[in-house]
Amino acid sequence: MLTKKGKYGLKALTALSRLPEGQLTGVAELAQANAIPKKFLDAILAELRNAGFVRSRKGKLGGYGLARPAAEIMIGHVVRVLDGPLAPIPCASRTRYQPCEDCDVETCQVRHLMLDVRNAIAQVLDQTSLTQMAAMGGAEAVEQSLTA
Amino acid sequence: MSAANKSIIIIGGGASGVLLAAHLLRNPDPDLRVTLVERQGRFGQGLAYSALQRDHRVNVPARGMSAFADDPEHFWRWLQRREPGRHATSWTFVPRRVYGAYLEHVLREAGESLPGRLRVLSEEVDAVRESKTGVEVALANGTSLVARWAALAVGHETQPARGKGIAVRATSDRDTTLPPDSPVMILGSGLSMVDAWVSLSETKHTGPVTVVSRNGLLPQAHKDVAPITIDAADVPFGTSLTYITRWFRELIAETEANGGDWRSVVDGLRPFNQRLWQSWPDHEKRRFLRHLRPWWNVHRHRLPPDLHAGLVRAVESGQVELVAAEFVGIERQGDGARATIRPRGTERRETIDVARVYDCGGVSVDVTASANPVIRQLITAGSARPDPLHIGLDVDEQTALIAGDGTVSQHIRVVGPLTRGRFFEIEAIPDIRVQCAKLAATLGT
Repeated sequence: MLTKKGKYGLKALTALSRLPEGQLTGVAELAQANAIPKKFLDAILAELRNAGFVRSRKGKLGGYGLARPAAEIMIGHVVRVLDGPLAPIPCASRTRYQPCEDCDVETCQVRHLMLDVRNAIAQVLDQTSLTQMAAMGGAEAVEQSLTA
Repeated sequence: MSAANKSIIIIGGGASGVLLAAHLLRNPDPDLRVTLVERQGRFGQGLAYSALQRDHRVNVPARGMSAFADDPEHFWRWLQRREPGRHATSWTFVPRRVYGAYLEHVLREAGESLPGRLRVLSEEVDAVRESKTGVEVALANGTSLVARWAALAVGHETQPARGKGIAVRATSDRDTTLPPDSPVMILGSGLSMVDAWVSLSETKHTGPVTVVSRNGLLPQAHKDVAPITIDAADVPFGTSLTYITRWFRELIAETEANGGDWRSVVDGLRPFNQRLWQSWPDHEKRRFLRHLRPWWNVHRHRLPPDLHAGLVRAVESGQVELVAAEFVGIERQGDGARATIRPRGTERRETIDVARVYDCGGVSVDVTASANPVIRQLITAGSARPDPLHIGLDVDEQTALIAGDGTVSQHIRVVGPLTRGRFFEIEAIPDIRVQCAKLAATLGT
């Protein structure tokens, strides 16, 4: 399931996707505007930078910005970096597999179902770009749906 | 133009062309007609599967070589009928000419399924021109064919050897017999280099062989291990090369710590290689090609174990020397050649005198310098262009050819290794057969 870390990361990326191209924003500002603890956001942004989704510059005019166009950044790709392999329960991961204490891997029906669920999650998240997610909900979308 | 409603001309009768024809002809629609044009008149025997030498073998075990992804035992059944009792298991590496014969069989069987639907022509194609309703394919004999679609299946293509024609391509016409004790140099560290070495071994060559490549690596050996299971939900798509490389190395370390083998990880990732490639921005693709490709290739494109062992023995005995260096140039020197190389990590130039330099620097990727008239014509006419990375032809996700101005062709498709700019993992039969099946499904409806 999406952790707080994953959720904060997606919120921060959404905010960065709304910046004019080439412009950077400071961590403190980003943290405040999105109600994310700054220290936590620091760590999240460092991971996103390692994975190539955001770039940073030091100094007075420094800060963070997207490293790639928002239309190319897929939500599923970001969530895997922040939360690890997409999996509704830990035993339903192939590469970061963690067995449950109470059941057998091969016969556990819950796990088999959750393996299907994780692939369905991947399907949705890998086909949604940051641009598309940024357009969901929010004041503009609500307004549009009211006037439509 | 009166292009028949469901007709297709396949240009190129190597493995890719035969696989596409076979998949198209599985469609029971009697109106779906296929013309296969091959300039050398030998079908199923493109660059990969025409080798005449006894020891040139397919570098993939027989169990992975079926023409049809939905019938994975097809090749293995054919092989057992042809050579009963010869192979204990399907984990066997057959001579390439045997695989060429299999492809011929596949084509013949496809043609017999509904007589009259397959036509094969031994002609060279000069040009492909597209109209609003279809294509016209001009042949070198002056005639032309019309159809609704054309598929370019020209496969691997070797460019002229480097060094102003002084270096030689192995098994080309200029690869004449050498005195067995003469020193030779081979450029490249991939499977083509191994082919050249196999040819030399066949002639009982005893002279020293200097193998020059950027990394001085040898392809690894196959081992009969099953791939690990990976789901798309596990793979970190779209991340930087640094990130995915670390993920990949950690997965290998974990697998090996549990008694597994790195090959299982390389093979387990294979179903996702095309998607991984496509999830990267162009600058990461470029970084991969520049820095990781040699390393990736020696692990991904492996050798039959006995062949690998023979090569390792030749290195240990000193007959083969692996040199990590950049090839700088070559001059004629009497009957032989003087090659200049720059050892890796140095600015030093070294010259080595040899009787012959074999250029095994892999297959051609610069389509603008293609030796194939139809590719040259398409580029010149603006109907085709190189992909952004210049490793093949630019195509869209449905393998439609993309013109010089970015227009997507309605009637020209491309299959096989030339689509590697978009798919990357499209060099071997297991991937090409899937691509052909998809294309046949879209054209057949």
